[in-house]
Amino acid sequence: MTSTPTRWQYFADGIIKENPVLILMIGLCPTLATSVSARDALGMAAATSFVLIGSNVVVSLIRKVVPGSVRIPIFIIVISTFVTIIDYVLQAYQPALYRVLGVFVPLIVVNCIILGRAEAFAYRHGVFDSLLDALGKSAGYGLVMLVMGSVREILAAGTWFGYAVTPAWFRTAPVLFMIFPPGAFLLIGILKGIVNRLTASKV
Amino acid sequence: MVNSKAWMVVSLVLTCTIAAVALSQVFSITKPIIDGQSADALKASLSEVLPGAAEFNELEPGTAWSGKDAAGNRIGIVFKTSPRGYGGPITVVVGLDTTGRITGLGIGADMKETPGLGLKAREAWFRDQFRGKSESEVALKRDNGTLDAISAATITSRAVTNGVRKGFAQYSHHLKP
Amino acid sequence: MDPAKILMGAFLVNNIILMRFLGVCPFFGVSTTVDTSVGMSAAVLFVMTLATWVSWLLYHVLLLPLGLVFLRTAVFILVIAGLVQFVEMVLKKYVRGLYSALGIYLPLITTNCAILGVTFLNIDYEFSLLQSTLFAVGTSLGFALAIILFAAIRERLEDSPISPSFKGYPIAFVGASLVSLAFLGFTSLFGISL
Repeated sequence: MTSTPTRWQYFADGIIKENPVLILMIGLCPTLATSVSARDALGMAAATSFVLIGSNVVVSLIRKVVPGSVRIPIFIIVISTFVTIIDYVLQAYQPALYRVLGVFVPLIVVNCIILGRAEAFAYRHGVFDSLLDALGKSAGYGLVMLVMGSVREILAAGTWFGYAVTPAWFRTAPVLFMIFPPGAFLLIGILKGIVNRLTASKV
Repeated sequence: MVNSKAWMVVSLVLTCTIAAVALSQVFSITKPIIDGQSADALKASLSEVLPGAAEFNELEPGTAWSGKDAAGNRIGIVFKTSPRGYGGPITVVVGLDTTGRITGLGIGADMKETPGLGLKAREAWFRDQFRGKSESEVALKRDNGTLDAISAATITSRAVTNGVRKGFAQYSHHLKP
Repeated sequence: MDPAKILMGAFLVNNIILMRFLGVCPFFGVSTTVDTSVGMSAAVLFVMTLATWVSWLLYHVLLLPLGLVFLRTAVFILVIAGLVQFVEMVLKKYVRGLYSALGIYLPLITTNCAILGVTFLNIDYEFSLLQSTLFAVGTSLGFALAIILFAAIRERLEDSPISPSFKGYPIAFVGASLVSLAFLGFTSLFGISL
């Protein structure tokens, strides 16, 4: 017997049970590319969250008046509006972060998490629930980014958020491999393996 | 009514219009700030390599500037070159005083070098070596020069020294009064 | 930028999937067999080239002169969405086999960051129309190389003994890590850095 999820679950699901990156396996590209340090990873997560929350709320607000057949183009326009906003806002107020994130800021528009949630959830639920859903998924995404960014930064530079957290001898010869693409792929493979192990044992 | 053909068209047009208006607003607010940043960043990087200069005038678009002190006297020039490094072009900014000696060297922030290796080129000790050197002295020790390379980043180090020497060849004529 | 360097750079040195991280989702989703990989690569080549032309023209002929640069993101993604719809219709009518083989992956090309990414990069690198075309073709070939190579590996992985938690995605990622490591060796090949 399945019960209608309580409001709180809309939020909580996004963090673990329906974590966008590790369970739903969407939004991988920016995750791998921008998680080179903890700060950059969180910056990316914040930008993505801005778009996710914005688009979920707006889509939910207009869901009753949007014609079904053209809803996807309309969702895309809404999402790209939020993406362009964060693109220019970052350029103006956080230029250093913008330089690091580069082409992945405008690419937020094709992040499957966002269009996916708009179609699968915001289109069919009220505004408050859609907001909770977006917040939950954002938190889940932020969590994964934090973990990946931290692991990669600590191993490849010996720092965390720029602060040295490893002994000096490590920092003179850190595991640079983790900054490069192979390191990113390896890390997410291991994380997914761990997640599989944890979810299997719960079944 | 929600699914009528007319509303389909109207809703699309309406969405596009609202989006375009919102975005042009955001754009007009942020564009001046963004433009200002590049001007400020340029002045900052030029000042860093030619200390004492209060004002810069462009000699060659985007690549060479003359520096004047607060009293209006010419104290040197700054040039920018982009030698090819290990992973891409490195932006190198060099300040020269009127005798043709290096007053400072800066390496661009958008260096797409192997992080950790080439990025060490931005470290102070490597750049400080260049100070006071004249054209003939700018070469790595292993190339019969006077400068130490960054360990395990010879290509990057050499790229920088080659870039500096090319810059000398190309721009030092501006030093002549 | 010399044409050969653009092609080589996009194909190997900065391989779109293994070095730039664009197109990772279809990379893992479609690379289960070599056949679907080949089909997907063909579709990507076609859509990417067309999208490059249309987006480049729209940008340089319309957006730039009219000062509407900020509409770039919206316009480009709508162009791609439209093109993919179009390709879907054409395939459905004329190449039924490929259409059913690709299944859900075809509409997924719309959200393929590789295609949108390339249209953005063409602008950021300030390529001419010809250079953009070369970049798009080189990138699609690089996509094809990576995905077909990987599919061959994955087909072998099917029969290998792997611990249950690592079956599927995890071991695929680890495999990708190794292939990407190999491609890292192409850095600065022929002095190409783009």
